[in-house]
Amino acid sequence: MWVKLAFKLFSREFRRGELTIIFAAIALAVLTVFSLSAITERISLNIAQKSSDFIASDRRLSSNHAFEPQLLKQASQFGLATAQMLYFDSMLFANDELVLGSVKATTAAYPLRGKITIKDNLASKAYEVDTGPKAGSVWLSEGLFYTLKVNVGDKVELGAGNFNVTKVLVKEPDAPFFSLSGNKRVLLNYADIVTTQAVQPGSRVFHRLLFAGNEQELSDYYAWLKPQLKSNQNWQGLKDRQSPLGNNLDRAERFLLLAGLFGIMLAAVAMAVSAKRYCERQYDPVAMMKTLGGSRKVIRNIFLLHLSLVTTFSIVAGLALGFVLQTIGADYLATFMGTELPQAGVRPWLLSAFIGLVCALMFSLKPLLDLFDIPPLRVLRRNLGDTLAISRIHIGLSMLTIFVLMWLFSGEIVTTLILFASTLVVIAVLFALSRLLFAAGRKLGLRPGSSWSLAIATLQKRANANAIQLISFALAIKLMLFLVVLKNDIISDWQMQVPADAPNMFIINIAKEEVTPIKKFFKDNNIAHEDFYPVFSGRVDAVNGEEFARRVSKQEGEEKDENAREGVSREPNLTWLTSLPEGNEITEGEWFTDGGTGDDIEVSVFDGWQETLGLKIGDTITLLVNEQPIDAKVTSFRKVDWGSLKPNFVMILSPNMAGKVPVTYFSAAKLHDRDTKGISQLLQRYPTISMIDIKAQIEQAQAIIAQVSLAIGFVLSIVLVSGALVLISQVQASLAERMQEVVILRTLGAKGRLIKLATLYEFMLLGGIAGLVAAIVSDVALLVIQQQLFDIAGRLHPYIWLLGPVSGALFVSSIGYLMVANTMRQNTQGLLRKLG
Amino acid sequence: MSVLSQLNVIQVSGLTQRVNTLEGSLTILSDINFSVKSGESVAIVGASGSGKSTLLSLLAGLDVASQGEVHLDGDALSTLDEEARAQLRAEKIGFVFQSFMLVQSLTALENVMLPAELAGDHDAKAQAVELLDKVGLSHRLGHYPSQLSGGEQQRVAIARAFIGSPKILFADEPSANLDSKNGHLIETLLFDLNKQNGTTLVLVTHDEQLAKKCQRIIHIEGGQLEKISEGVAANVG
Repeated sequence: MWVKLAFKLFSREFRRGELTIIFAAIALAVLTVFSLSAITERISLNIAQKSSDFIASDRRLSSNHAFEPQLLKQASQFGLATAQMLYFDSMLFANDELVLGSVKATTAAYPLRGKITIKDNLASKAYEVDTGPKAGSVWLSEGLFYTLKVNVGDKVELGAGNFNVTKVLVKEPDAPFFSLSGNKRVLLNYADIVTTQAVQPGSRVFHRLLFAGNEQELSDYYAWLKPQLKSNQNWQGLKDRQSPLGNNLDRAERFLLLAGLFGIMLAAVAMAVSAKRYCERQYDPVAMMKTLGGSRKVIRNIFLLHLSLVTTFSIVAGLALGFVLQTIGADYLATFMGTELPQAGVRPWLLSAFIGLVCALMFSLKPLLDLFDIPPLRVLRRNLGDTLAISRIHIGLSMLTIFVLMWLFSGEIVTTLILFASTLVVIAVLFALSRLLFAAGRKLGLRPGSSWSLAIATLQKRANANAIQLISFALAIKLMLFLVVLKNDIISDWQMQVPADAPNMFIINIAKEEVTPIKKFFKDNNIAHEDFYPVFSGRVDAVNGEEFARRVSKQEGEEKDENAREGVSREPNLTWLTSLPEGNEITEGEWFTDGGTGDDIEVSVFDGWQETLGLKIGDTITLLVNEQPIDAKVTSFRKVDWGSLKPNFVMILSPNMAGKVPVTYFSAAKLHDRDTKGISQLLQRYPTISMIDIKAQIEQAQAIIAQVSLAIGFVLSIVLVSGALVLISQVQASLAERMQEVVILRTLGAKGRLIKLATLYEFMLLGGIAGLVAAIVSDVALLVIQQQLFDIAGRLHPYIWLLGPVSGALFVSSIGYLMVANTMRQNTQGLLRKLG
Repeated sequence: MSVLSQLNVIQVSGLTQRVNTLEGSLTILSDINFSVKSGESVAIVGASGSGKSTLLSLLAGLDVASQGEVHLDGDALSTLDEEARAQLRAEKIGFVFQSFMLVQSLTALENVMLPAELAGDHDAKAQAVELLDKVGLSHRLGHYPSQLSGGEQQRVAIARAFIGSPKILFADEPSANLDSKNGHLIETLLFDLNKQNGTTLVLVTHDEQLAKKCQRIIHIEGGQLEKISEGVAANVG
């Protein structure tokens, strides 16, 4: 019986726009969560896929000893696809030329993820294939063709075997980003290892097992494997912590997360304000219904049905709109990335619908309970029940809900706590400040009858309501300013990492006597280049006399440690330098004493290894360089910007290392297409040097920066809409009171222009004050967030101190004025009728 | 219950209302006693703040008295909870207010049907149309309150008050928000419909002329019943 009435009331309320803001707020929260989580998930899946490409699989197991056959057999039983690889160095011989090549032998399943890029001959175009060479043939990297003076179709000797050269090997998905083996690479069929007779007991070889499958299968397998992992076996996952792309994408994900949190926060504020307003608007009808005999149960049912309907519609609308937006956004990003973004799973759907539901329930619960409690006596005493509007429980419940929503969305308690606590402080400061400002305005003593004095009088009259409005405006402006500035900082930081003149080619294996002629070649051809670094490889053998293997074995188990273990157990490239390289920062200790020219060899270590190896200043590291032990004293730890595409070193030794070990030199240069011919000549003249083209990496980094900038812009626009919604809901909440004022002022003879200007000034003042406070708070909060969450050097942004108040005044006055313009246009009689 | 009290549709005895303020307890109404017979029209008059609206709220069961009792058609209001009082209002009482109190999102016809719908009666449309016709608004059935003048809104409120044929009609300053022409029209309508339906009318007003149109006038002053006088209608009716 009440259902028909409830539907009738609902459809009318909806058409009258009474439910529009609630609808928009829930829909916006759902849309924000859905589109952000879907896009983030799709990008993450893509990154995971790309990361898998980097290791040619989803997981890999590495060792310098052969694996038990049982490991592969068990992996198949767990449903995983597998491939085997073996790395070794071997001599290649052709046309009387002998050269040491770096051989990778692979089974047919390789690569499990990603593609191998090859060319049919040196002059033809590169293309991608899914598997390596057939038995009896080899693929050689370009450098070997010059060194061995061979062409595709020729034969080369590799170890004891004779193989047909069938393709030019351009790139494998898991080719090391920077390796001393350079471009002397050979890809061989795994079955041919025996033919080469290059692998004998005691040979220095490196085994790898590759695995691919779904996460469940992989983790099940790892659970089986973990107890039997040996200390020389490393299980490696997806993320390479030192990858430049990994760093940047991590930041982008954090930004999207932060923006999503702000979007939710704003939508939640809009929802809380509009739900309260809606319920307040229903006080009279409810009092009337109760007076006319409506039972509490019927009234409760009517309004709960309203809430259910508006929640359902807004969640459906939010999901639909979110789906369209994320599809358009993801398609655009995918086109930009030149790749397909995998579809997101059900998580965004469930999470956003759930957040919409929680939003609707929690923010309307207290106002609804207040509404059900409205006494019928209100029909006679019109202000009865108004005191219910200011409820600490509502504020408390709303804050708790916002906190839970943020936590649910981010899954990160620390970030949520930082943001939430800082927002609480902001609210407290703003409330106190707003009261002071309004009180100060009272003493201004402006001319009676002027628009300004009317505006200030209005602000003072509604001091409490205005303080809340001011907080909402300031919060909205703060979050928007915050994101705008952060977006600019992140993007400019990225662009600094990959400047237009960044080197795009690494030149390695340069002999000492080749340094001067190559420098001359660069100078003659006007090629910009980096310094020439002496490079040698060595591995950590002991720390303070304690064997390294025993030291790391204490940290077995966690993936984090295993990644680190793999890092320290390999032979990194080392150098010696007189001064700290650009982009490095000493975190502890001091740069070499007396310029590192004393008797003791000193070493500056990457701070990531400080924790892994448990190092401290003064420790002695024993390095094995060409099986020769070298003791170096740790004198400093350095922060290294692995995000930059510049040469970076985990250990830098003091210059007194010179002459103690054989070295080659390493440099980087920015090459253009016009330099191709000269470079070919250079390679022919100095066949032992190797060049690594990092153009692709730079282009990929630049493309991702551009793509993430787009995503950030998209998110920012959602947050702007949320901010506008908060503003609209606040203005709408005060609309009835404004109508009353307009009626009174007109009755008292105030001219239309005076009222209009007063309203405009009131909003300008509110927006200006809110903007100024928002700018100050944003800038201080940015200092902390940039350093804590984004690892960017914090700095102040004086321009937002002007941008804040100006944009705040413009934004608030334009939206506010537009909202009340209709009220201004109506005649007094019309307004009186609307007021009922 | 005596035969006499059964004839009295409203029986008020020792009615007192106190409210707590910052300064302490404040007595709004003190020891009010009177009765209203079925079909009678009674005006409650008094200056602003005299307590007449409070008395109306207690008579209609919108509020609970601090002391004393109101019997409404035989039911002691103090024994009823809020839901039961709402049920009683739905069955026996109609209201007209100074500020019309129409639901803005419902049309004139829907506003008139509202009490019947809240009581679960969905066949009230014919009666609602008839009532709106009686108040001269048959051409305004589909109009919303914001599309009606003040006088028209109050006529809708009067039509709503008579839906479901209530035994008692409470009217609180029904013409106070209207100009004299519309006010007069509303007063005429109210008394005419009251007479046609045989409803008991309790009218709160500060307008002596309007009060005189009732059969009896209860004078409230400073929260106390000052006197009960006869109106012009007493001699007519």
